[in-house]
Amino acid sequence: MSSYIITIGTLLVIQAIAVCGLNVIVGYAGQISLGHAAFFGIGAYAAALLSTKAGLSFWMALPLVMGISALIGLLLGLPSIRVREDFLAITTIGINFIIEALFRYVQFFGGALGIGGIPRIVLFDVRLKGMAFFYLCALFLILVLLVCYWLTKSWASLACYAIREEESAASTLGISPVRFKLLAFVLGTSMAGLAGSLYAHYMQFISPSDFSFPMSIAFLSMLVLGGMGTLWGPVVGTLILGILPELFRPLVDYRMLFYTLLLLLVIRFQPSGLLGEESTARRLLATVLRGRLSR
Amino acid sequence: MGSIYALVTLGLALVYGIMRILHVAHAAVYTIGAYIGLLIFQLTGSLLAAFVVAALGCAGVGVLIERFVYYPLMKYPPFVPLIGSIAVMLSIEEICRLIAGPYILAFPAKLPFPDIQISGLQISSTLLAVYSITAGVLLLLWFITSRTELGLAMRATSQDISIAGAMGINSHFIVSITFVIGSAIAAIAGILVGIYYNQVYPTMGAVPAYKTLALIVVGGLGSVPGAVIASLLLGTAETLLIGYANIPLPRDALAFIAMIGVLMWRSEGLLGSSR
Amino acid sequence: MTESRPILTVKGLSKTFGGLKAVDGVDFEVFPGEILGILGPNGAGKTVLFNLISGIYPPTSGQILFRDQRLDSLAPHQIALSGIGRTFQIVKPFGSLTVLQNVLAACGITRYNHLSKVWRPWGAKAEIQKAREILEKVGLIDLADRKAGLLPLGNLRRLEIARAMVVGQAILLLDESFSGLRHEEIAQIETLIRKIRDDGRTVILIEHNMRVTMGLCSRIVVLDHGRKIAEGPPESIQQDEKVIEAYLGRKGMGHAA
Repeated sequence: MSSYIITIGTLLVIQAIAVCGLNVIVGYAGQISLGHAAFFGIGAYAAALLSTKAGLSFWMALPLVMGISALIGLLLGLPSIRVREDFLAITTIGINFIIEALFRYVQFFGGALGIGGIPRIVLFDVRLKGMAFFYLCALFLILVLLVCYWLTKSWASLACYAIREEESAASTLGISPVRFKLLAFVLGTSMAGLAGSLYAHYMQFISPSDFSFPMSIAFLSMLVLGGMGTLWGPVVGTLILGILPELFRPLVDYRMLFYTLLLLLVIRFQPSGLLGEESTARRLLATVLRGRLSR
Repeated sequence: MGSIYALVTLGLALVYGIMRILHVAHAAVYTIGAYIGLLIFQLTGSLLAAFVVAALGCAGVGVLIERFVYYPLMKYPPFVPLIGSIAVMLSIEEICRLIAGPYILAFPAKLPFPDIQISGLQISSTLLAVYSITAGVLLLLWFITSRTELGLAMRATSQDISIAGAMGINSHFIVSITFVIGSAIAAIAGILVGIYYNQVYPTMGAVPAYKTLALIVVGGLGSVPGAVIASLLLGTAETLLIGYANIPLPRDALAFIAMIGVLMWRSEGLLGSSR
Repeated sequence: MTESRPILTVKGLSKTFGGLKAVDGVDFEVFPGEILGILGPNGAGKTVLFNLISGIYPPTSGQILFRDQRLDSLAPHQIALSGIGRTFQIVKPFGSLTVLQNVLAACGITRYNHLSKVWRPWGAKAEIQKAREILEKVGLIDLADRKAGLLPLGNLRRLEIARAMVVGQAILLLDESFSGLRHEEIAQIETLIRKIRDDGRTVILIEHNMRVTMGLCSRIVVLDHGRKIAEGPPESIQQDEKVIEAYLGRKGMGHAA
């Protein structure tokens, strides 16, 4: 398999992990986060710093990276979630801008030049790259999906869905909205942190502009396209939005416009995404399957 | 600069007040205003024509956005139209880039205001124009909302859209009118900024887009005077900070930090009301 | 047959919104095992009263006591944990969940506050059985797997009551649960409420339907403009002059069924 495809594939898998995290926040708990890239960045920078400055291996640093992402998610989430719904969108945008600014202007994070020389991940004394690294990322994605699946079967998910649908009714059932929104937020940000860590070790060089607001929009687009609140939605959405630009290479100038128009069309006509409940894709699939089965 | 923010934020606050939608695409309308203004100015040499045509054009764009994107999405949770708004804004940015090129275009116009000096402070004609036009627009808006029937209808609809409907107000019409007014103001702001900095470029909307969001939050969502005050405050703060640029954070982040600070202190913003 | 100690006490309760006094110095007691009705013309402050008791609004002044425990500073979910459940005047089903899942969500009340328990899966037979039993009681068992968002109003009102029944082991607050129902449905719900009372629980209901209220309630409290204007058994309320005046003097009268 050409190394080009492997590169694209690896990036897609890493992004899908981040989008799964966003799905927990937006899809399961119904909270809007337009700053997800910030936590992707926090994970990446944490991994970069722990491996370059503290000499920790990826594996040793991983719990720390996820812990830091979760902790910062908790700290930033707490004031954000107490505000009204409309404010949350703006607050998360603000978080993105502020965190990116911190990365860019505070010397500890390498400033505008970022951090380089991040080592590859070592497993059983083998420096993983190419196909091997892809498999590792895919493994993490499967783990994340399993966690999400198990989550949807838990009581916690019932609470989150209740909050998503009717928050005041949920509170009369003993569900503390703040607690569960925060829970979803922290879970989502720690997944983003994991993805960020993989990203850092993959690119071996990160800079603040990798984690700016447009990246948050990209994540959200992937989620919306695939279907918020579904299990495979994040993967499908990431795949499509990742592969399309490669297909449209010749029209590279119109790529961005195509993206944004696609996002507009999807959100306007099919807000629940491709895999969403009443989506055309699902209905088509159901009709096809029914046709097959009745033969 | 604060008054420019005020102009742009004004339209945004109006729209939010009436539809509870964060109209991020407002910044794109502002950009279109600048481009149309520049085009008309280049064709006719008349600034007045530029303002008028741009205002009309943007009013049209604003209504189109409202009718095709926001209104149909009203029944969904609020982040759905928000995403739509972001998509619209980015699309318009791209369209401007593809049509007019990514370069910065110059807007060498001179507004028919004098350069004046007040106690040693030089105020260029453009700056004076900005202040006066902002003041004029605010006055006009105040007049419309508090003295006319239209204004009454607008205020009723923004309070409660269903009750307003029951009282015989065609709420959709009022919503569209709000967009017309807000977008026209955005067009004026766009032209003024274009002239002031002598720059018109596709991503010029990005700067005010998110800052103005922070501003309407700080001012209190739904409160137009609050938004104006917040804008003026931010403009002043930014100017002061440029002088003492020791703080390692850019101006954009500043708006958001202020916003988060205000929210933590008073969760409805400066002049907002809890709903 | 009532115990002497009240299960719920409202003392000097007031709530002001802006300049408007929605609830103004209301006092009353509710005794265990009774069905108390809250009547009053539109805008009298009845739903605001419920919102105060269930913790959605903090009171401007006054106290709410559940047995001996103060409720007025608690958050809604904490009040639910005390065993007080409520329905909403405008139904709030969890639309994309099934009817069964809606009730299950209520059953989770014993787990939501324990970080260890909340991760367990909700599919266990015993839990599903319990939820199905509740659905049987309200007559929704045939619709258990239907998406709640697709149900007509009558069924949604029953779903609200089902959820409130799970939570309200001590007190149920029913806000206009009969609105928009057909005759047969009204009779079914009346029977259901009596059964709930016979189970030893206390019910407080807000209702516009006079016949139902007079028939079900052992005592009635009447509000007007946020103030309590009358309190007593149905017979005395029906003849109370202030009550009659409050209803006749307004356009928004309760309708006799």
